Amino acid sequence: MNCDFVLTVCPFCGCGCQLYLQVLDGKITGVVPCKTDEISGGQLCIKGRKAADFIYHPDRLRSPLVKRNGRFEPTSWDEALDIVSGRLSEIKRLHGPDSISILSSAKCTNEENFLMMKFARAAVGTNNVDHCARLCHASTVLGLVNSFGSGAMTNSVPEVEGADCIFVIGSNTIEQHPLISSRVLRAKERGAKLIVADPRRIPLTEFADIHLQLRPGTDVCLLNGMMNLILSRNLADKDFIAERTEGFEEFKKKVEEYPPEKVCQITKVDPTALEEAARTYGEAEKASILYAMGITQHTTGTDNVESCANLAMLTGNVGRESTGVNPLRGQNNVQGACDVGALPTVYSGYQSVRDEAIRAKFEKAWGVKLPQEPGLTVTEMTDAALNGSLKAMYIMGENPALSDPDLSHVKKALSSLDFLVVQDIFLSEAAQFAHVVLPACSFAEKEGTFTATDRRVQRVRKAIGPIGDSKPDWVIISELARKIRDAQFDYKSPREVMEEIAELTPSYAGISYKRLDNGEVLAWPCPSKEHPGTKFLHKETFTRGKGRFFAIDYKEPAELPDEEYPFILTTGRLMFQFHTGTMTRRIPALEREAPTGFVELNPEDAKKLSIAQGEKVKVKSRRGEIGIKAFITDRISPGVAFIPFHFAECAANELTSRNLDPEAKIPEFKVCAVKVYKGDKHG
Amino acid sequence: MNEENGHKSVLVIGGGIAGIQASLDLANMGFKVYLVEKSPSIGGRMAQLDKTFPTNDCAMCILAPKMIEASSHSNIALYTYSEVEDVSGEVGDFKVKIKRNSPFVDWNKCTGCGECTQTELDGSRKFEEEIWVDRIKIDEESCIQCGECTQACVEENKERHGITNIAFERRKFIELPPEEREGREPETLVQRVTLMDEESRMDFWQRELKKCMKCFGCRDVCPVWVYDETELEDPEWITPGEIPPPVPLFHIIRAYRIADSCINCGMCEETCPMDIPLRTIHQLIWRQPPEMIFEYIPGLDPATKEKLIQRVKEHPIAKGEIRK
Repeated sequence: MNCDFVLTVCPFCGCGCQLYLQVLDGKITGVVPCKTDEISGGQLCIKGRKAADFIYHPDRLRSPLVKRNGRFEPTSWDEALDIVSGRLSEIKRLHGPDSISILSSAKCTNEENFLMMKFARAAVGTNNVDHCARLCHASTVLGLVNSFGSGAMTNSVPEVEGADCIFVIGSNTIEQHPLISSRVLRAKERGAKLIVADPRRIPLTEFADIHLQLRPGTDVCLLNGMMNLILSRNLADKDFIAERTEGFEEFKKKVEEYPPEKVCQITKVDPTALEEAARTYGEAEKASILYAMGITQHTTGTDNVESCANLAMLTGNVGRESTGVNPLRGQNNVQGACDVGALPTVYSGYQSVRDEAIRAKFEKAWGVKLPQEPGLTVTEMTDAALNGSLKAMYIMGENPALSDPDLSHVKKALSSLDFLVVQDIFLSEAAQFAHVVLPACSFAEKEGTFTATDRRVQRVRKAIGPIGDSKPDWVIISELARKIRDAQFDYKSPREVMEEIAELTPSYAGISYKRLDNGEVLAWPCPSKEHPGTKFLHKETFTRGKGRFFAIDYKEPAELPDEEYPFILTTGRLMFQFHTGTMTRRIPALEREAPTGFVELNPEDAKKLSIAQGEKVKVKSRRGEIGIKAFITDRISPGVAFIPFHFAECAANELTSRNLDPEAKIPEFKVCAVKVYKGDKHG
Repeated sequence: MNEENGHKSVLVIGGGIAGIQASLDLANMGFKVYLVEKSPSIGGRMAQLDKTFPTNDCAMCILAPKMIEASSHSNIALYTYSEVEDVSGEVGDFKVKIKRNSPFVDWNKCTGCGECTQTELDGSRKFEEEIWVDRIKIDEESCIQCGECTQACVEENKERHGITNIAFERRKFIELPPEEREGREPETLVQRVTLMDEESRMDFWQRELKKCMKCFGCRDVCPVWVYDETELEDPEWITPGEIPPPVPLFHIIRAYRIADSCINCGMCEETCPMDIPLRTIHQLIWRQPPEMIFEYIPGLDPATKEKLIQRVKEHPIAKGEIRK
């Protein structure tokens, strides 16, 4: 009998809680919290505590599948890889490398994402590689790079505890980042002020000093209004602005166009609350902004992010402990997947593909000519598939058939592809469309690293061998790459991949398995072997030199309610499910808590439509229609409806729109126009 | 084994897991057992282990119920903090002399709250660090009789302070008339909650329990939670999918279920991601009637019963206002 505890990282949200997997005779028996971990400190949310419960699920893919005559048939690895490499090579020969696109995965390790990005660029020869960061924090990566020069959380998670004022905007922190919210509440206990801006009365508002219940999509206007008040009340940090920033005068003129009266009229926020919020944030010694999807998933996502950055710079709340602009990343390794370059415009460490010198460095390392034009984003891939310029797609650990906006459009695109490979641990909605399905390993069956939301790189350790015939993603990618193009994909372990990442990526240069296994906490940038990692960014100067103010005008969301579609639909997540539910919907304890979706309606609206509690209703937008249970609650404002997007049987994304942020290409998940009517009527 | 007075009796020396199990087996066979243990508590090494071979179960989960059973078994006489001084006689007729060390603590009154070990001397050193007070015993050689631990004890345990044998006894903080308490803040949470009036105490618990995000961690780590898991998952009472649980019944049921078996290990509080003072609930339950901690005693007089039923009827679940 052999008993072991394997320290690894939780596979759900971006908090990055370490936990122990309890292994008895090569079988995982449970999860034990890790008391010495800085983030979790022996505490976990329900998802973390049940993290091991999906690993042995009977639905796990146990052998490669090939679709023949519309049905999946199990096959051998040799045959499956031959089909994939043969078809991809053929499509590449006939239509060029840019007719192939690749979706990498925020659920996989840094090493696997790096290999996937290398596979796309060096083996296939295209920059068409992207992942779901496009759907969550693309606007953060872009917006914060524009403002500060570095598109990541400026401060670390434990620092939240020390702030004097915490401004949470567009983040349902208790439900989505439980171990960060516990720090918010600890700060509150210490006497910090908490401001929550959210269209819904989320659990965190119970503890907030001020709740700004704004109309969805009016964030820029709200932030401009707050900054207007901060300026007129003389609460701006003049020294900081003069010394460390640029573009202030233009910005100031713009903000002056947003007096409180106008702002309150647009945002529907109470004027005294707005005044109070501006004063509280402006006066605080150390103020921290936490934001998430409520800011980014808009056609004005980049504007929203830059406005948050403006607010922090205006009050000098950047580059010090317990301050900053802190995007909370939704997935365990979405930060890492961006860092190692699973994006169409950059290599690892956000090094641009257009830059000659950088491209030359990668060409030398990989011994191959690399493409220089930026590739397609997730959202552009579906369009390209439909217009025929994209022929094949290789999806690793993503489920666009539930996560992307306007699902009927996505499904049409997926089924119009000549060749689709899906590599996943379960037969997801997207995998149904695949020609070949490759079974991958879950987080418990492989080695690697995840990068948490606060840039903290942590080790993922193998607890058990692969389930069935599945293989770790890095093995599959390298085997496939070796079939397509022999050399340069000869890795014995993820450790070697990490060495390559460190060699090619300045911000990861000092990170190694040896240091991580010694228990060092390393947050990038970590430019050398001696560097202790960076707790908070922009200490002396901004990454880009000076912080840049942007003068930003408020723009309406792309699709506003009208007579036909009178409700604003906003989507989001629940505590007990995670994203498309591939994993969490197979965990009984979580499925028991939240077995299906619902549409939140205000009692006023429900009364008008004579909809009863729990009644099955129809929700329809210009793109689709779903049947769903009504949940009547006053935590949502009149005229707004909320649907969680986890559930395939009532998928919120059938309704959402494909309107994109022009720069970041992030779709507007948070605002679209819908109508709600009783289930027995016809719309 | 001694059958002298018409019943058989056995002496077990050492109250580790082996001694406890032997005592329990013998006691259940009808023997009168004298269990002698040198330290102040039975449990021994196993109480210090995390997981045990070969089942990988948590050590306290196996041990704690046995400890409780041993301490309450009618056939077992427990002599803790005691040592065997002399054994004489022969097989079937032993005479044993047991020396009981004085703990200077009345164990019938001690709640094991541990406050005495947390008090600070000169505002800097903790007793715990000096090892003068180790929970429920005082080292008579090191003790300087400053009385700090006594005060902590009386403040913490209003009616039944455990440390009684020290000459120096100070007035009980929470029993002071309000004017004398003025300017002095209660030092511990238990004191603070005890001093609250009913309304603010309700507010306090409502506020604390509102933080609950239903991770079920407090139940999962609890070494004495031996009941069916689903007991805390009944959708009639604990709405699935709601955060926070609209009425904190989850915590009330849990607290009552383990009220008499809680060993005050504090794991529930340590593992709670929202820092709800769960341990305080148990510390309060030990010395207060339930209606002082929560709102009312269920099922006492008809009026209370009526109130309870009314409350249930008005509850959003009953009215169908909450998602199931």
